[in-house]
Amino acid sequence: MKASVRHHGKVTVVDLSGKITIGDGDIKLREAVNALLDEGRKAVILNLNGVSYMDSAGIGELVACYKRAAEKGAKLKLLNPGGKVQDLLILTRLQEIFEIYRDEREALTSF
Amino acid sequence: MGQTVKLKLNSRITYVDLVHQMTEDMARRCRFPKPAALDLALAVREAFINAVKHGNGMDEAKQVEVEFERNASRFLVSIRDEGNGFDPTLTADPRAAENLERTSGRGIFFMKSFVDEVSFQRRPGRGMEVLLVKNLAPPAKRTEEPGGDQ
Repeated sequence: MKASVRHHGKVTVVDLSGKITIGDGDIKLREAVNALLDEGRKAVILNLNGVSYMDSAGIGELVACYKRAAEKGAKLKLLNPGGKVQDLLILTRLQEIFEIYRDEREALTSF
Repeated sequence: MGQTVKLKLNSRITYVDLVHQMTEDMARRCRFPKPAALDLALAVREAFINAVKHGNGMDEAKQVEVEFERNASRFLVSIRDEGNGFDPTLTADPRAAENLERTSGRGIFFMKSFVDEVSFQRRPGRGMEVLLVKNLAPPAKRTEEPGGDQ
């Protein structure tokens, strides 16, 4: 998995690509989000458009990132989950805890 | 007639991508559509991770056996560990409101969601066996051409 960071004022977008799975993607996701939270970033969008699939460890790390953000007074939202990732979010009912956006501009102005 | 392929791997999480890729490739060769092949691979991935972590307790000296078997109508994958196994009935429903924010506990749920049949069998003194079955959908019926049965 790859993660690249863009800043739009106070909002940070993390473009993720590849797969978020045990032992690789889950660790890179944790490191990317932790670095932003440690910098004091309070508004983070994870752009899932390039993510092909996740396993239970990847889903678990997504939830862990959401909780760590909340503990630090930050908000973490999701953008553009595609095919299988969208199915997984529905299957696990995680679309009920995450704010999920289809349009990046809308996501950026939602904070 | 069915075909069988068997893998014996040490208990290392790093092997999970190999097992996933093999499953997906074999399922595709058995005419599973791409989404169904990915579903089967995701289920096998979860079973393999469970075998390494909860079955064999991350003990690399212990092995995980993965056996693939195909026949005309379905694809079966058995994942066997050498540990004390795990109790699949002890997992809480990850879709229950009180569990949505849990960071683990979705592996068995994923297995059950992605294949047609899942069974767990404790093998006394020999660990746990998880059997995953994915049915191959029957080929779409050909549309009869008018007058084609004359």
